[in-house]
Amino acid sequence: MFLRKQNRQTSVSNDMANKQQRYEVLVLALHSDIFRYAFWLVKDKAVAEDIVQETFLRAWKSLDSLKDERAAKSWLITILRRENARRFERKRFDLVDIDDVSVIDEQLSNEVEIEHRELRAIMASLSEEYREPLMLQIVFGYSGDEIATQLNLNKNTVMTRLFRARNQVKEELDKTNDNRGRKNG
Amino acid sequence: MDELEFRRTLYADPYCKDDKVLAAIAGDPKKQVFCKELKQLDKNMQQASQVKIPDDLMHKLILRQTMQSHRTSKVRKRIQLAVAASVAFVVGMSFTMWQQSHLLDLSKQAIAHVHYEGGYALDAEENFSLQQVNAKLAQFGAEFSEDIGRVYYANFCDFENVRSLHMVVEGENGKVSVFIVPHDATYLAEGSSQDRRYNSQAVDLKRASIVVVQEAGTNNNKMKEQLKRKIQFSA
Repeated sequence: MFLRKQNRQTSVSNDMANKQQRYEVLVLALHSDIFRYAFWLVKDKAVAEDIVQETFLRAWKSLDSLKDERAAKSWLITILRRENARRFERKRFDLVDIDDVSVIDEQLSNEVEIEHRELRAIMASLSEEYREPLMLQIVFGYSGDEIATQLNLNKNTVMTRLFRARNQVKEELDKTNDNRGRKNG
Repeated sequence: MDELEFRRTLYADPYCKDDKVLAAIAGDPKKQVFCKELKQLDKNMQQASQVKIPDDLMHKLILRQTMQSHRTSKVRKRIQLAVAASVAFVVGMSFTMWQQSHLLDLSKQAIAHVHYEGGYALDAEENFSLQQVNAKLAQFGAEFSEDIGRVYYANFCDFENVRSLHMVVEGENGKVSVFIVPHDATYLAEGSSQDRRYNSQAVDLKRASIVVVQEAGTNNNKMKEQLKRKIQFSA
């Protein structure tokens, strides 16, 4: 009887160790992507960090429900979006101004960085319904179908939003280029 | 595929693998440039989107979860302990109560004893001296310091496995049965009870209980107090 109990205990701690390992692999592999996703969702580093922590904590608690590791990314995104929505239920934060987004980069040394900064500001200025599918496509390499599944939208809607998102980015870029051209010229 | 549809499709997904789109690109150098531009834009956006990850984020994520699981396991241990304690408490309580519910009520037992014996002791007409009574009482380390009246009967009897002294003495209203029962854990040492024929009272003293049984309707108090006063236990 005592023997059996001991065996069960070791198997319990084995389970715990397995879970711990799974979790750490998940964090290692996905925390960057998930953080970036959170950042582009809320456009604020500190808030993004909070949400990511909540997301992973929740993931840890319900890690057993994740049966297929390949689905981990979309599973985490789902949790993250729910956490984000919950944040709005609790308290409505003031969204950060686009100008503040430039704070992201500490070292702005070359022209590429300046270009990126402009691009970031433009991306951040997109409304959420355009920004989110665009980030899924660009950052995560999701296909139209995958985005549709993840965001619970139909595919045509997703494609339309992607089109409009790029269209807006293009227009904004052209505008700034025009301005710069005028200033420089 | 017209120009507008082509642009729409490519804007939605620059890496579109649709045959019609690919064919349109292949047949038009302008469209090739357009497609290349869009892919470049995607690349730029992808690079621009790579914001810096806070250095300690990964450690925080792992640490926080470790603390969380530590806390839950601590809580779980505490809950287990609480459950174990509750179970032990309930077992202890019910055992005590079970034991108590099985305690014999001395006064009831005495009445049963008198009933069971019938006239054997009550019909006895002997006359024991105080010395004879005290000689028997000495077994319990007790004696009567004064005369307690005529003693018709005095002998040891088995009182539910406890060796006790059974006496019949003279009372105001006839014969009175008196039991002197040494202390035993299985007795409720004090109390009173009655049935149709008898009533009885038990009183707990230093080393033994005295139970007085008389005919129903008579008062036991006087006899009880008298015996209580006269009995003495050696230290």
